[in-house]
Amino acid sequence: MRIIAWTLYVVLGGVFVWAGIAKLLDPSAFLSSILTYEIFPRFMAVAAALFVPYLELCVGFSLATGALRRGGRWLAIGMTLVFTTLLIQAAARGLDADCGCFGSQSYASEAGYTWPIARDILMLAGLAVAVAIEKRKK
Amino acid sequence: MKSFLEALALVLVAACCSVVAYFAHPKAPSFSMDAFSISLEAAQEAEGVLWVDARTDEDFERGRLEGAILLNEERWEELLTGFLDVWSPDSPTIVYCSSQSCLRSHEVAERLREELGIETIYSLEGGWESLIEAGLAEEAAQ
Repeated sequence: MRIIAWTLYVVLGGVFVWAGIAKLLDPSAFLSSILTYEIFPRFMAVAAALFVPYLELCVGFSLATGALRRGGRWLAIGMTLVFTTLLIQAAARGLDADCGCFGSQSYASEAGYTWPIARDILMLAGLAVAVAIEKRKK
Repeated sequence: MKSFLEALALVLVAACCSVVAYFAHPKAPSFSMDAFSISLEAAQEAEGVLWVDARTDEDFERGRLEGAILLNEERWEELLTGFLDVWSPDSPTIVYCSSQSCLRSHEVAERLREELGIETIYSLEGGWESLIEAGLAEEAAQ
């Protein structure tokens, strides 16, 4: 069972690292994506565009390597919940938002919200399984 | 408690990195909207405006402001010649992109300011959406 938890953490950590790198290569493009959600004032969006990619990197490394993992997994769950909520509200409001999840510039009208939301739910499920396995182990 | 402290440590590391990125990253966004934004009302009062559409080629084909010319970063070199043919230093240039949230107009305006030293160049607040709402432009039927 331990190998399953480790594999899940490494895969999920890799996803966070990938998402973080894609965003930090071009924070301005990520800012543009955040603004399409039409929910944050500019100063908050700029702060998020600078902060979120590095938090994703830290969380990703934490999950994948096991360093500070207890904190990292709660941050991962919190971030994924926030991302999912943002996508659901954008879908409910019929916004043509750019997910920005992996630094892409694909708008909802082209890509749809279903896959990004499903992906987030899958990640939450993966995290929940990994946490459950660890708890059972103890 | 340990989980909280670990999470806090990760947040602090990320915060430090983001502060460094704000000052050092070449593409770091600015907290203030650039001083060269212009409202639609002010734009309409300006005389002899050269309108520049900074959206994608596809968006431009679907609909544009009458008289606007296309200049986007995807085909910068190619389209810049067309811009220079019609640009006059005596007239203001106003760049628009798709909406209030897009950054393309700011980027194009910034690039023109840096590369050509054009001072009278502005980015339209609200972008294409505000032009549609004001009835100044129409999108072609799909």
